[in-house]
Amino acid sequence: MDRIYFKEGIFSVDTDTGNGTLLGNKCASCGQIYFPPVDFCFNCLGQVMEEAALSRRGKLYSYTRCHMPASRFQPPFFVGLVDIPEGVRVFAPLKEAADRSFQVGMDMEVKIEELWRENDKQVIGYVFEPVK
Amino acid sequence: MFLSQLNNEEGRIFMREVAVIGIGQSVFGKFPGRSAASLGGEAVVAALKDCGMHPRDIQVAFASRAFDASLTAQRVLKGVGISALEMVNVENACAGGATAFRGVWKEIASGRYDIGIAIGVESMTTSSIAGKMIPPQGDDLEGYLGMTMPAMFGMIARRQMEEYGATAEDFAMVSVKNHHNGSLNPHAQYQKELTVEEVLNSRMISEPVTLLMCCPNTDGAAAAILCSMDVARKYTTQPIRVIASALLSGSYQHLQKDICASLVGVKVAQMAYEMAGCEPKDIDLVEMHDAFANEEIMRYEDLALCAPGEGLQLLRSGATKIGGRIPVNPSGGLLSLGHPLSASGVRTVCEVVLHLRGQAGARQTPNAKVGLAQMLGGVITGMEHGVAAGIHILAR
Ligand SMILES: [Zn+2]
Repeated sequence: MDRIYFKEGIFSVDTDTGNGTLLGNKCASCGQIYFPPVDFCFNCLGQVMEEAALSRRGKLYSYTRCHMPASRFQPPFFVGLVDIPEGVRVFAPLKEAADRSFQVGMDMEVKIEELWRENDKQVIGYVFEPVK
Repeated sequence: MFLSQLNNEEGRIFMREVAVIGIGQSVFGKFPGRSAASLGGEAVVAALKDCGMHPRDIQVAFASRAFDASLTAQRVLKGVGISALEMVNVENACAGGATAFRGVWKEIASGRYDIGIAIGVESMTTSSIAGKMIPPQGDDLEGYLGMTMPAMFGMIARRQMEEYGATAEDFAMVSVKNHHNGSLNPHAQYQKELTVEEVLNSRMISEPVTLLMCCPNTDGAAAAILCSMDVARKYTTQPIRVIASALLSGSYQHLQKDICASLVGVKVAQMAYEMAGCEPKDIDLVEMHDAFANEEIMRYEDLALCAPGEGLQLLRSGATKIGGRIPVNPSGGLLSLGHPLSASGVRTVCEVVLHLRGQAGARQTPNAKVGLAQMLGGVITGMEHGVAAGIHILAR
């Protein structure tokens, strides 16, 4: 089945390990890091932005289980905010671990996987799941 | 900027005192057979009648509408016999009505016109989003990943539980309080008392937010007639003064460290208090954006009705009930009136005016002298939630 990224240029997958990484960027002047990447720095209006791969792990800041359909997701599904050590808070779908429920502050890891299917294509994006 | 400074300092724009003299509201509910123009017209006619004004006395109009908007002021006013004057249409998410009100206030304060009308109207059931959640914009990354307003307030609620020990029962209490108030308001879409159990047992929307903790999508309109203080006296013995008007947009998201503390909500309140020359303790009642029950608790803190982090205690103390120290949403709020997006920012002003006149009936705030009407909302990926915020403080 064909695989398409739901958005290009904001995540990558290591072909050897299969590990996913979120790709943000960093202001060369003030150091502020952004995800998704921005065209210029919202802090200082600096124009020089450098690529910045985010740490693969972060801490769960908040979460909710949604019981209404949204975007292409059918309920129930989890979404949450994950604080990445670089100072970025990422909104993402969450994947529940089989053995424990979500807790604020728990260690999370990014995973690249199918979000939904569209016209016989796998739409690939990022989710966070509890660190095993 | 105090009004007095604006008046006195050389080189500053001269600002006249402005009063609200007429208020009107349409029915609120689901009316698939009625146009936005017809709902708006009902509110305008009620506002004109409220102050005994002839339609042709209106000199300037601002109207706000978010969905399927086109020439809203002209369409509404055509139906009540008003044409051929300066009309401005604005959109500012949930703060649209407040933006229209502020537009008229500025026109009159600056001396350009003496009499104007602010209209907020929304027909959610005839709009392109009828029956749906408010959809993400085409380039809204988070929208595609499942972000919705209920999801956002579900995540805020989780933080409130984690940081302050809030419980689902606390959130339900906000809804119970506001539905009690709504049961006293003939304009409310839902004039029905609820119990904590009913709220908690209603359909789960976005944990821990249940259906009865969410405001309904509603059709409705509100209108307010403003004029200069000298003209006001020709129409009424009870002009209600606009002592502060503040409008502000949200910050970039990375600046908001705590999703339970709104940067724009706090700042716009500070601007309003400074302009009014008053403090939060001087406010006798508040009408605000309670799109979700748990939202009201964070807005207490935005408006400095209590210290940061003490919103939950303020709720539990009962201070924000009718008859409490600082009643919040005595109208019933968005939770029981419903939320016609652009109408709500005018409707909240109308409610404050009723209390300041002593005409709020069973939900009257005793001896109210100063009231605050806040409205905010809107989401954009990369910005703090609540992208536009407006506050008006009124006094008798
Ligand atoms: Zn910078």
